[in-house]
Amino acid sequence: MINAVADEAGDEEITPTEIAEAIRDCLELSEVDRAPNVRRYLGEALDAVSDGMPADFVAMTLYAALGALREGA
Amino acid sequence: MVIEHMPERHSASVVLMFAGGSRLEDERLAGVSHFIEHLYFKGTERRPSSKEIADAIEGVGGFINASTDKELTAYWARVPSEHMDLGLDVLFDIVANSRLDPADVERERMVILEELRMYQDQPQDYVQNLFEELIWPDHPLGRDIAGTEESVSRLNREDILEYADAHYRLPNLVIGAAGSLDEERTVVEVRQSLSLRSGLNGTTPALSPAQLTSPRVLVRRRDTEQAHICLGARALSYMHPDRHALDLLNTVLGEGMSSRLFLNIRERLGLAYDVHSFTQKHRDTGYVGVYIGVDPKKAVDAVNAVMGELRSLRESEIAPEELARAKEFTKGRLRLELETTNGVAFWLTYQELLLGGIKTIDEELALVEAVTSADVKRVADDVLSAPLQMAVIGPFARDSAFRLAIGA
Repeated sequence: MINAVADEAGDEEITPTEIAEAIRDCLELSEVDRAPNVRRYLGEALDAVSDGMPADFVAMTLYAALGALREGA
Repeated sequence: MVIEHMPERHSASVVLMFAGGSRLEDERLAGVSHFIEHLYFKGTERRPSSKEIADAIEGVGGFINASTDKELTAYWARVPSEHMDLGLDVLFDIVANSRLDPADVERERMVILEELRMYQDQPQDYVQNLFEELIWPDHPLGRDIAGTEESVSRLNREDILEYADAHYRLPNLVIGAAGSLDEERTVVEVRQSLSLRSGLNGTTPALSPAQLTSPRVLVRRRDTEQAHICLGARALSYMHPDRHALDLLNTVLGEGMSSRLFLNIRERLGLAYDVHSFTQKHRDTGYVGVYIGVDPKKAVDAVNAVMGELRSLRESEIAPEELARAKEFTKGRLRLELETTNGVAFWLTYQELLLGGIKTIDEELALVEAVTSADVKRVADDVLSAPLQMAVIGPFARDSAFRLAIGA
């Protein structure tokens, strides 16, 4: 999903609603709390989607969440 | 006083450069140097209006102007060489005998307030002001030279007279003259005609800005078509021995159409229309910055690409041919700058006032030539490891991705 967002597919192949739903699903997973900052970055990404921020902005925040998850793994 | 005789020219230029600009102003007096610069063109006892001042110089085809900076204020004229006496006379008249009429103070206040508002409507300029606020927080260097709407609204005629009396004195002044001129006659004219006070009285010492400890991002939300971004770090002063290496680093990074930023961010990636880098240097501090004018949808990608270029400067030395090209660019620009009598007068005066001594152009070019790729990498390591600061103007409600991009 992050790659799709980063490819600026936000308004066609994957809609902001779908991105927001996917982030909310992630936020419900217990893995999110295994590493610091993952929940924070996902929350910021969700806010960014809600505010209509550009796709590269959302993708950057999601990549940060992914990076934090990997660091904590 | 510094003089360069250039007998082959048809013009002569004279610059009156005063030590002191917006850096010496406290919060209450913010913008007073710039205010004075405006008022000095409004009229003197002998030339009671701005028209008469302009007519005196333009009547012989000359130019007269002034500029206020953070550490200096300059008044200058460029005239056909046979009118050098006139150029000196008008400049001395405006800096020593201005009327500072109360009605002019009020009129000019309105003009300056409009000037401040105009800059806020020019995001590509305004973002640099915001960036400087981040680079030098809570310090006069981080403020707009013209002051703030609050300070300009508050300044009164007494503040202006007091500040002018304290700073516009002979020990704070260097006069530069260049062109086809008679040196002895110029010196005599200066001795006879300039009537500024000689002693110093109550000048404020320029305090150094505090250390920056962390990266920061400032997003100013505006519904602009483009995102305007300035990012960079504190860098070197104009007194620093590595200043020429910094200038070459800046040239390689983002000066001109053969720079890395232009070729990679604009030409190869097509991310931005305008992308360039720049430096500013003061007595004890400075910065190197990058400006990006970019489609808001590509703003974070563009910042990430710029960060890649900054990392690359730290990771490996620049190639010998790239360094050689940067040196030729820098040396060529300096030579072109010194083509005009005005350029020479400014160059000499600036050196004498701020550096305390004058290097010839050959000495300056030799310093540029002596810089190695290792010097540039060392400076890149030093400067670009400092906490980065970034100001953004654009249609952004949030700053998280920008913060992540620079590690803030």
